[in-house]
Amino acid sequence: MNHLLRIKSLSTRVFWERIRSTRMAIMFPILVLFLPGMAWGFSDPNIVLPGGHQPEGPMEIMFYASLGVVFGATMCGVMLAFDGVSRDRASGVFELRLAQPMPRTHQAIALMLGMWQAIFVPVALLILLSFVIIRWRLGEWAALSDVLIHLSATGLILFWYVVFTLLASSRTKDQGTAVAFGIGMWFLFTFLWALVTTMVAYASGVAIGEQNDAQWVALEGALDLLSPNGVYHHILETRLEDVDRGVAAWQAWVMALLWSVLPTWWFVRRMNDLQP
Amino acid sequence: MEGDSLELSQVGFRHRMSEPSRFNPWRKRLGPGVVNVSLELRPGEILGLVGPNGAGKTTLLRTIGGILPLQNGKISLASMNENAALDRAQLRNIVGHMPEQVRWQGKQTVEDALLELAEMRGKSIKRVKDLLRLVGLSQRSETPLSGLSQGMRQRLTLAAALLGSPKFLLLDEPLNGLDPVAATAFIRLLHQLKEKGVSIIISSHQVHGLEAITDRIALMHRGQLLACGSLESIAESLDLTTTIEVKGTGDMPKLDWCKDIIETSKNNQGWMVSLHASSADQLSEFIQQGVEVTSWAPKSPGIVEMLCAATGMDLDEVSLEIASAAMLPHRSLRGEEE
Repeated sequence: MNHLLRIKSLSTRVFWERIRSTRMAIMFPILVLFLPGMAWGFSDPNIVLPGGHQPEGPMEIMFYASLGVVFGATMCGVMLAFDGVSRDRASGVFELRLAQPMPRTHQAIALMLGMWQAIFVPVALLILLSFVIIRWRLGEWAALSDVLIHLSATGLILFWYVVFTLLASSRTKDQGTAVAFGIGMWFLFTFLWALVTTMVAYASGVAIGEQNDAQWVALEGALDLLSPNGVYHHILETRLEDVDRGVAAWQAWVMALLWSVLPTWWFVRRMNDLQP
Repeated sequence: MEGDSLELSQVGFRHRMSEPSRFNPWRKRLGPGVVNVSLELRPGEILGLVGPNGAGKTTLLRTIGGILPLQNGKISLASMNENAALDRAQLRNIVGHMPEQVRWQGKQTVEDALLELAEMRGKSIKRVKDLLRLVGLSQRSETPLSGLSQGMRQRLTLAAALLGSPKFLLLDEPLNGLDPVAATAFIRLLHQLKEKGVSIIISSHQVHGLEAITDRIALMHRGQLLACGSLESIAESLDLTTTIEVKGTGDMPKLDWCKDIIETSKNNQGWMVSLHASSADQLSEFIQQGVEVTSWAPKSPGIVEMLCAATGMDLDEVSLEIASAAMLPHRSLRGEEE
């Protein structure tokens, strides 16, 4: 068995273990409510959003429904992966894993991939279901390229959260601290980032929250590149017309690459230094 | 590699301990570990690694098992070139490591849990089934991990350590938590492995119980190897003698005629007298004097006696050392610091 096959085999085991877990059974209805549920709601022909706006087309509806990914799917990813390292480390099984000849870098990659698949596969299926619901309600299919970009962006944001959570899990030996780390990080990027943006705007003398103020929009767009949720929305916005927050598509993709590579490198390094 | 010895030469690893200061909350200092350990593990022998809690036994086993990196020294095979050394990946290939009390848990079955580790070694399901049979868990292969008793968990951990058909097997406190029946079965299994040429290190914080299993004992304290050899040779080198423990029921007999008494004691069950080992031929004298003896057995020196003799410290000092968190390694033999 070569190295790639071993990584695939271990990640598949992690995937099946997590997707069959009790917590996934608890979280799946939440994902159904947040993903196809939101797509159902936003695709209502009579919906009127604040400001009198009505969503147009499948991608705009999916953009609004992406709140379900930001609030629901990422939290489920955190809940699924928070004990990815800490549980086995506390029980002693991790020491047995480290005693195997499989390099730690490969073990880290398998762990990340397995955890990520466990949250991405159900989310991706529900997103595809959301597109079907939109087609049923609006009579319009999304373009294949739009669907692929949406799935890619969702896959990326889930991967980032899973890797952050695994990193946190590798820093702790007890489950309480591990879950506190994961949820704290989720809370920071999901809720507190607006506060960070506001503080920077205030310090820079930019009028806060003025959606018609070009300076505020540009600042918010730039600061969003430093948050995984912000980068996710920047990537989704590349498929929307009439949205310009001063960030080019290539900038969003470069930041997505950095958000993927840096935490991955950090986690692999952490795994290589980790003691049982 | 058949019949090869594993040689540790000046092996060292010290943990880094957090020691935050006002200006540097991430400051670390070198803490306990193992220092300059040189040891040879011969083919087909069982070596007992003995020391109190915090002596560095687990750290040494993890270092030999390729889990912790060597900070200095080297580990090699006797057949290797003098300057060559085994790296961590090579060590993980040839050494089987059984950590202390792995708490297997979850819905995963016994066979599946072992297969997961086997796949990390590139081993097949056949190997897994063979090992489950060897450790007596084949009837439990479909049992969820949460449903295993402590003894079964120990057997599963041993099976995991044996996955790579190792020539060297490291067992960290393997008898902890086992009932006498399970412990006997476990020891029998170790002897089977020994007969197959597997070299085994068993760590324990007690000498008693290891005497019957091991060929040699290595005594560790504060990260250092204080002595290594047969129990008799260690006792002899430390000027410790085997005593004879005589027990009887009823009141303490008058033993004025006996010159070799070390200590006497009395409890609800009866009395006990310790004699010098040189008094071994005095049993007949006891009988002639009409003393009702229920037990007459030699007693080897325990770990506490050995540590006291090896470090030159008394019992109180040794026990305080064991309890101390600041276990910075130093060599203290017979009161002389090196």
